[in-house]
Amino acid sequence: MSTSHAEHEHGHNDGDHHPHVLPMSMYLATWGTLLFLTVVTVGASYVNLGHTGNLIVALLIATIKASVVALIFMHLKWDHKFHSIIFFSSLLFLAVFIGITMSDTQYRGELDGIENEHPIDIKDPFKGQTKGDFALPKAVDTAAAAPAPAAPAAPAPAR
Amino acid sequence: MSAKADAAEHVDTSKLSPQFQVAHHFDTATTQFDAGRMGVWLFLVTEILLFGGLFCAFAIFRSKYFDSFVEAHHHLDRVMGGINTLVLICSSFTMALAVRSAQKNETKKTTALLAITLACAAGFLVVKYFEYGHKFHDGLLPGRFFSAEGFESGHAGIFFSIYFMMTGIHGLHVVIGMALIMWILLRNMKSEFSQRYYAPVENVGLYWHLVDLVWIYLFPLLYLVG
Repeated sequence: MSTSHAEHEHGHNDGDHHPHVLPMSMYLATWGTLLFLTVVTVGASYVNLGHTGNLIVALLIATIKASVVALIFMHLKWDHKFHSIIFFSSLLFLAVFIGITMSDTQYRGELDGIENEHPIDIKDPFKGQTKGDFALPKAVDTAAAAPAPAAPAAPAPAR
Repeated sequence: MSAKADAAEHVDTSKLSPQFQVAHHFDTATTQFDAGRMGVWLFLVTEILLFGGLFCAFAIFRSKYFDSFVEAHHHLDRVMGGINTLVLICSSFTMALAVRSAQKNETKKTTALLAITLACAAGFLVVKYFEYGHKFHDGLLPGRFFSAEGFESGHAGIFFSIYFMMTGIHGLHVVIGMALIMWILLRNMKSEFSQRYYAPVENVGLYWHLVDLVWIYLFPLLYLVG
């Protein structure tokens, strides 16, 4: 339960719901802000900031407007914190949804050229690649491998 | 102010919302109200994800066919879109005030505010009707129905597919919202709502604000930046 609700209900023991009424001035200020920002966003669209610049400005203003609506008109500011968590979880999943989808579609097909030049023989995928990232593992050099276990052992006495 | 507050204190609250009672599985009216409101918030999450899919499609196709999107969005009327944004913001404002007056037992004021909200919603749809009519006339239609000429880019039809799908589903939400507002308006005229019980007004209000929220993003993305 949010503090404002808890405080408000202090002293009422009749089991009824007692609403938390916001002052009229707050609604008027919110309305004014939203109207003002709408005019600003339309005005900003006539200014050439480059495609990315205009997109960022438009989204920024839209996000301010959306926050004002959610916090004040939808009472999230005074509501249970859990309702805010529910709301923000949807935005989180939206970011995952759009972000991961775009990371696929934006880079899809970029390797097609390379793959066409070097078609993979499915029966022998590492054929001819004895060097570079795709190199087969070298035969283990016992002399080089011997000191390896000693290295992690060194910090042990410090513990 | 204090005299007014005193008058409100002396209202016999037991006579308000006579049909209302707390269901036996809830401790208090507040618990019942909160449970309902949490359910509405969960529903709003599904709505955000529904529109999220469309915003995702918009993002993908905008990056793939950037030139087409920029050219096509100049065929949307940003003045009409802007007017609709203002209309929807005003309807959100009157809806928020309707919830407030329901909290304060001002039944007649609530009815009037809900009626103004309805009128704004209808105004939004009228502007949308003229916009759609203009698009149909010019052949600015989705996908393969696209028949407008003089386009330099080749995929403007995809922009209009997304435009009609997003604004169409949003418009459907406006129509559903109007039906819900009409429903609480009629119930309010039967004096069902008061400080004791206004959950339906609050919850329909939340839905209506979400419809506004979606439009707040739709308008700049479609009309202003393309």
